[in-house]
Amino acid sequence: MLRLDQLSRRRAGRPAVQNLSLTLPRGQVLGLLGVNGAGKSTTLSMIAGALRPDSGSIQLNGMDFLEQPELARELIGWLPERAPLWPELTVSEHLDAHGHLRGLRGAVLKQARAAIIERLELQPLARRLAGVLSQGQRQRLGLACALLHKPALLVLDEPANALDPVQVAALRSLIREQAAAGTAVILSTHLLTEVTAVCDRVAILHDGTLRHDGPVHSGDHAALERSFFEIAMNSHTQPAHAA
Amino acid sequence: MSHALTNTAAVTRLEWRRLLVRPLAWVLAALTVAWLAWNFTLMLGSFLSSQIQRAAQPDGPGFIDLVGVPLLGQLAQLAFLVVPLITMSVISGERRNGTLPLLFAAGVPAWHIVLGKYLAVLGWLLLWLLLTLAMPLALLHTTHFDWGKLGAATLGLALMLAALGAAGVACSTFASHPALAAAAALVIALALWSVNLGAQMAGINGGVINWLAMSSHLQPLLRGLVSTTDIVWFVLLIVLALALASRRLAADRERG
Repeated sequence: MLRLDQLSRRRAGRPAVQNLSLTLPRGQVLGLLGVNGAGKSTTLSMIAGALRPDSGSIQLNGMDFLEQPELARELIGWLPERAPLWPELTVSEHLDAHGHLRGLRGAVLKQARAAIIERLELQPLARRLAGVLSQGQRQRLGLACALLHKPALLVLDEPANALDPVQVAALRSLIREQAAAGTAVILSTHLLTEVTAVCDRVAILHDGTLRHDGPVHSGDHAALERSFFEIAMNSHTQPAHAA
Repeated sequence: MSHALTNTAAVTRLEWRRLLVRPLAWVLAALTVAWLAWNFTLMLGSFLSSQIQRAAQPDGPGFIDLVGVPLLGQLAQLAFLVVPLITMSVISGERRNGTLPLLFAAGVPAWHIVLGKYLAVLGWLLLWLLLTLAMPLALLHTTHFDWGKLGAATLGLALMLAALGAAGVACSTFASHPALAAAAALVIALALWSVNLGAQMAGINGGVINWLAMSSHLQPLLRGLVSTTDIVWFVLLIVLALALASRRLAADRERG
């Protein structure tokens, strides 16, 4: 589904991501783990099509995404960090706007909107302005916008931010449900519990380079924690190769 | 091509919706239309009171010369303030909200974003012009109308609003804050209007400096003279402003 090859990007005069290579098949959930400033959000912005890499390539379903940025329209759903919204639009209008941008219209859009509103329990908020939503509600709306057009690749940047424990559990079940339906999911987090609870594979980024890429075994929290702290504390760990 | 149309239409729809729910657009429309209606009433009163004197000059100025075109002239003056306020947050507001990357991530190219937003602003400005035109048109059956003059003046105003709108969108693309965008658009509009003022005071008419001034191209249209040169001047300004805005937005995407 997704193949990153030697992806690099500089930001604010320093390398934010360096020579990152990764693959992600359909139906797999990949957790992107790293401390603040490790390059997670930059990587996800490039995968989502919001930021162009300085070098390297991104392939979606075998097609060059950098040559055909319009592939994002149908294939990718993206929830950026802090879920940016238009404060003057209602929840329902947000979903319509995202639907139009993704090429949905008429009955198809109406159906997709109703389904996602029901799935994410947004009915009580449907007519509320985004500007007055709480952070958790904003996050749910952002997630609804990302899922509206049933993307083949779901890119989630810190999706559990500001959610309460009940909502976190609902989010985990939603991610697993998407993966079971064949969607490839890549999510960034700095919470190890999030990775062990929901991901099939984990990639650890540090200083913009990939330091670890391997499967997540259930109940393997302690081993993952050890690897993470080793990488975070010792920045001289050798970069890992793509799985 | 169909993707281009769908993208542009989606951005236009989004921007139009944002314009309609923001109080600023409604307040500006209400205040300016009320001001124009008051002036229209005054000009109409003056026109009616001088009817007997004008009856002696059958070829003298009529309703359109004394009421219709001056009313559009007042709209042109208001446009210098209204257009920067309407356009100031179209792109810089998105940048501040952090919503610009959402448009990029939907696979919408920079020029589709700029064009979509420009069309929404243009729609609002043309509606504003239409509301103003409705005042003289309400007297259609009571007085003689010089349709040619009114048509030329309306075309001139529409082109002026379109050009100022494009300059405003460009300023909004370059500015980090909506207030800066409004200030820059106001300065550019005033500079475009009066760039030839010095030359005219020195008694120089014609030449490149006069060609650059917006007033040199709007005044003939307000007098009822339609020339290709004037229309081309406005179209060039619109294309240049939108091209600069698209270029800047594309660079934003590259920079991140």
